[in-house]
Amino acid sequence: MDLERIDNLPTDTISGFRVRPGKPLPFGVSSVPGGLNFSVYTSAGTSCTLVLFSRSEEAPLGEIRVPDHYRIGDVYSIVVYDLDYEDVEYGFRIDGPYNPEEGHRFNSENVLMDPYARVLSGREEWGVEPDWSKQYQYRSRVAFDDFDWEGDSPLEINDADLVIYEMHVRSFTKSDTSGVKFKGTYAGITEKIPYLKALGVNAVELMPVFEFDEFENSRIHPDTGERLFNYWGYSTVAFFAPKAGFAASGKFGMQVDEFKQLVKELHKAGIEVILDVVFNHTAEGNERGPSISFKGLDNKIYYMLTPEGYYFNFSGTGNTLNCNNPVVRNLVLDCLRYWASEYHIDGFRFDLASILGRDPWGAPLSNPPLLESLAFDPILSSCKLIAEAWDAGGLYQVGTFPAFGRWSEWNGKYRDTARKYLKGDEGQVGEMAQRVQGSPDLYQSNGRSPATSINFITCHDGFTLADLVSFNHKHNEANGENNCDGGDDNHSWNCGAEGWTEDLGIRNLRTKQSMNALSMLMTSRGTPMLLMGDEFGRSQHGNNNAYCIDSPISWVDWTLLESNRTLYSFTQALIHFRHKHPCLRVNSFVHGGSHSLPSCSFHGTTPWQVNWSADSRQLAWLMTCNREDQEIMDAVYVATNMAHYATWFDLPQIPAEYSWQLCFNTGDSQSPYLDTPITFNEHGILVGERSVVIFQVSPRET
Amino acid sequence: MQVALESFGQWQVIRVTGQVDSKTVGDLRDFIDTELKQGHPVALELTEVPFMSSAGLRTLLTLQRKTKDMGVELALIGVAEEIADTMKVTGFYQFFTIHASLEAIPNS
Repeated sequence: MDLERIDNLPTDTISGFRVRPGKPLPFGVSSVPGGLNFSVYTSAGTSCTLVLFSRSEEAPLGEIRVPDHYRIGDVYSIVVYDLDYEDVEYGFRIDGPYNPEEGHRFNSENVLMDPYARVLSGREEWGVEPDWSKQYQYRSRVAFDDFDWEGDSPLEINDADLVIYEMHVRSFTKSDTSGVKFKGTYAGITEKIPYLKALGVNAVELMPVFEFDEFENSRIHPDTGERLFNYWGYSTVAFFAPKAGFAASGKFGMQVDEFKQLVKELHKAGIEVILDVVFNHTAEGNERGPSISFKGLDNKIYYMLTPEGYYFNFSGTGNTLNCNNPVVRNLVLDCLRYWASEYHIDGFRFDLASILGRDPWGAPLSNPPLLESLAFDPILSSCKLIAEAWDAGGLYQVGTFPAFGRWSEWNGKYRDTARKYLKGDEGQVGEMAQRVQGSPDLYQSNGRSPATSINFITCHDGFTLADLVSFNHKHNEANGENNCDGGDDNHSWNCGAEGWTEDLGIRNLRTKQSMNALSMLMTSRGTPMLLMGDEFGRSQHGNNNAYCIDSPISWVDWTLLESNRTLYSFTQALIHFRHKHPCLRVNSFVHGGSHSLPSCSFHGTTPWQVNWSADSRQLAWLMTCNREDQEIMDAVYVATNMAHYATWFDLPQIPAEYSWQLCFNTGDSQSPYLDTPITFNEHGILVGERSVVIFQVSPRET
Repeated sequence: MQVALESFGQWQVIRVTGQVDSKTVGDLRDFIDTELKQGHPVALELTEVPFMSSAGLRTLLTLQRKTKDMGVELALIGVAEEIADTMKVTGFYQFFTIHASLEAIPNS
């Protein structure tokens, strides 16, 4: 029986539009037979007007004051019929008190963006300055949720098996040297998928892709006078909308399809997609910032405010989203569920995640409800949840982040220890041993596993790998803050000259140090993360905080792939080596190892004897496991010598049916990696100054 | 936008002239629903279409499904470069057979 539903028919006509009371859920806009359902929350607002525009038109198509009886609780909802889905843009005017001391900043003159908007117009092209006199800048539109996924779903690769590649959408292919057609866009990354696959990474972590305002930076380049940007985008305008300016098809409003196409193609290549998400603050700034959406919808709900009504600033960027308010918490949950289900996103990395564990007054909570909700959410249950476990308000929670058995962490201690050990600092051997085995000192006692630790030596924050071995100090003058921005605790070493040099000895040492760093990273337990371009020596010329630079300084220079081909091939070989050896990816601190050797053991120049003293700069590790369903042992031995002199290492004894094979030797500049590993019958090896060697075992031919 | 039905060999040709967007796409959809004949392959002639919006591209997918159900071939003819680019980056392109002209259809 097919009855015509009478609840799909309009009940009223307002301002010439046929309407009826809407459904309060879902929030935002959704399509219903014959019309669109609009729903918006405001607890302190006193009236709501839906403002409709035709695409790109300045003057509204019409304004519909939502009748009071259309409100349920604190939610105004209305169905409007006969709208052109593709053409219509909308926003809200909310009336209410303007009383900043009380936390209220209502102004019905403003047209506010829907916080649940899934597509925005107004900023279709990157770097094209908008007409600031226009009153409504980010215009909410209606998304088509009809992408043909052809059977795709999130990949659900085990955390411990991931090799993450962190990248900025625009930087990755913006340079002419990228050779792609759609430079600096989602589609540009799609074109580079064969490169990523060949490199061997199986996850990309995209720096912010939620709509942000690249013009949110008033500084000027001190030399060129050019305007500086908010290039990285750690300042969200709209949590549900992909940045249009990152899409080649943004000017046609098709960024949603383009981004989905990127995810689908990455998945086809076996590569997961992790989004770097920013929930700690928004682009609305403090009391002097713009009123885009939340401020005018319900300022007191969405932001952490001081008793005087000013904005708390735990993010270092003006305001702090009130994430443990139940309404805001649901917004965050809705957002992540939307990206996981509608975009097939595999995981999320939370910028300054410690903020998400503060109560509405800023105090750290012992069981933060938001973090708990995310950890146990039914839709997010197989998503990776990765915390940047600190914030700008002084909370540092590496090892103590409230993980609920689910969260992993950017391990800042791994980065710092590996850097110090790499440059030969004294007293690092003991801590390095902790880092290499997945940081049990941080994660074992609370029942976590090695993959809780996202191991990295470089990330977007700080030096690139090439700069880490080329600069003792940051060189951030181009950022327009007199070199005062960016961290000073880089633990970097320039190898003998600051910056660019013709000295071949220094240049070779830098390449070797880069290889050393990558060798340690790829043979540590936990989940390794690589920064884009580090595999071929990408430099930012000593800028360790290029958040505002949209120029070749921050764009990947693909000519380096040729000029640093050996480093690239070395990195590629290392990544594939990691995939080949399950013993490097064991995700347990109590794993039994193989039949004759423990899971992870440490060695010095003499097997089983480590010199743990402060002046020791030698450490070797042996990792083993039994290969799945086989009696065969998998074992990898890594010897690191960070002293400035060569050192002999005796190799540990292995069962007679196995032999050692040498696979990598960074001290051998001619062949730092061996395409065909050579069987090694010596009982030890001279490890060159500041060098790393890596062996695998192979069953002897009988 | 104008739509007309022509024939080219065994092919039934839908010739579209003008821009296809949310304002005009309904006419194209109605035309496809009412004018297509069973048993003949379909060519959508787009040489004179300078712009196609998201809704226009989605109608192409509708047509693709319809011809699949009818068991006949579908070819797009003379797709402007900018439209083809948008189709490529958004994943629409891979669902279609595209030729530069009617004459370029193999065995036409």
